[in-house]
Amino acid sequence: MKRKGLGFYLKIYGKILAQDLKSKMSYRADFIISTIGMIFTNIAGFVSFWILFRNFPSINGWNYYEILFLYGFSLVSLTPVQCFLDNNWSLRMYVYSGDFIKYCFRPINLFFYYQSEVFDIKGLGQLAFGIGTLIYSWIKLGLGFTPLILLKTIVFLITASLIMMALQNAAAATCFWIQNSFYLLDLTLKFKDYAKYPITIFSPVFRFIFTFIMPIAFIAYYPSLVILRPDEVPLLSWLSPLFGCAFFWFSYKLWMFGAMKYSGTGS
Amino acid sequence: MKLKKYLSLTRIGIIESRQFRLATVIMVIGNLLYLIVVYFLWKSIYASVETDVVNGMTFTDTLIYLVLATALFNFMEMYAVWEMGRNIQSGKIVLDLLKPIEYRRYLFWSYSGSFVTQFFFTFLPTFIVVSVVTHGAVPLGINLLYFAVSVILAVLINYSIDFIVGTICLYTESIWGINIMKQVIVLLLSGATVPIAFFPEPLKTVVYYLPFQSIYNAPLTLLLDGSPTLETVVTTLGTQLLWCVGMTLLGKLFWKFSLRQITVNGG
Repeated sequence: MKRKGLGFYLKIYGKILAQDLKSKMSYRADFIISTIGMIFTNIAGFVSFWILFRNFPSINGWNYYEILFLYGFSLVSLTPVQCFLDNNWSLRMYVYSGDFIKYCFRPINLFFYYQSEVFDIKGLGQLAFGIGTLIYSWIKLGLGFTPLILLKTIVFLITASLIMMALQNAAAATCFWIQNSFYLLDLTLKFKDYAKYPITIFSPVFRFIFTFIMPIAFIAYYPSLVILRPDEVPLLSWLSPLFGCAFFWFSYKLWMFGAMKYSGTGS
Repeated sequence: MKLKKYLSLTRIGIIESRQFRLATVIMVIGNLLYLIVVYFLWKSIYASVETDVVNGMTFTDTLIYLVLATALFNFMEMYAVWEMGRNIQSGKIVLDLLKPIEYRRYLFWSYSGSFVTQFFFTFLPTFIVVSVVTHGAVPLGINLLYFAVSVILAVLINYSIDFIVGTICLYTESIWGINIMKQVIVLLLSGATVPIAFFPEPLKTVVYYLPFQSIYNAPLTLLLDGSPTLETVVTTLGTQLLWCVGMTLLGKLFWKFSLRQITVNGG
């Protein structure tokens, strides 16, 4: 099969996206309520930090605004997984019912085609809230603004997104082998709640686990260090873009491997 | 025999939930991770202040409170909103309405089986681990009895809130958004994320006038208080009972009223 170029895929994505948005717009109330729900979740996270820091001056040497920065960072980096890969949540249903086989007959990349079917707009509400939080803490911390720091922020946000996407892909792909992958997906969703704390609060054993075995420290902590503590950036932070790409590539291969050995249900 | 038909629903629920063993294992792992995060987070939070007691709560108190709140959440959360919403969208609800049993009761009793399994597989182990780890900081006496009564009331209040929220789905046809809003509000305002004792003043008073604190805060306060005065017990349980009756009635009336309004897609 001839390989299709990036432009081809972008064009197809635009077309599928338009169809998806049209069908979503027919449930307008649902769209509005879901967006409000998303913003509620983010505000609740904000409020719990606010309550905490009214009682305590800092957590492990991290002040209120630094923690908010981590929080905003994790929200922004979670947006791609929310917007582009939301169909992963339905994967187990498609696989179970046998409907997944329809994706296997298209002459385009299977992973791309499957994920492109759903674009979750409510992720954009989260993105706006996350950017707002980032800017607010940025100003309060007096971080300054140069093109270099902006470039760093963008690169490391992409890194963090790649890692979150990799985790979710891998969790969703397990449904090709086990019946109910919902709980694994739900577990990875919970990771994002843990990602907003600095990893230094943990004991060395768990620091190791959360860095190498369940790499949640890469979602906000290691990338943020580059911007928040530029004098003491560990090697791991600089390596994290590499890790991000590697993890994502691996999860993609796992997903495709599962999909390729999928034999349908015969219906 | 009237109770027999309900108990057979309980039995079915127990058998059903035993089918998903892997899901239980993953849930236990997820809980364990959460407990680890909570432990280290609050340890470093308490390390940042000089005093041992903040707002009348020591580190151990806070830990027991939050860990058991999570255990209670896992045990009480039955995704009734999801179930109702899905049944409304698919039209299956028509079949449930035709059953010779009130829908509200049917739903509750069909979940009661998972209450039983969740209690033995998540709540009880967590409770024992917490008691051992904190070297008997959980007082074991008459307060256990109050706690048990309080938890039963909390389950009923939680179910009533779920049922009311589920009824709203009849109108909006939005499940995710409604459910996430409910979950966020309940978890924050019931003290499951940050203990209510830490809330700043005006907010604290407001929260005490809302039904949510009766779900997690009330049972946990009764449990942690080794020798509660009669007055505390009576006011806490009394408030819970009031909310329980009030929310149940409200749910019933709302459901009865809404049932006349709905249009269901052919099931």
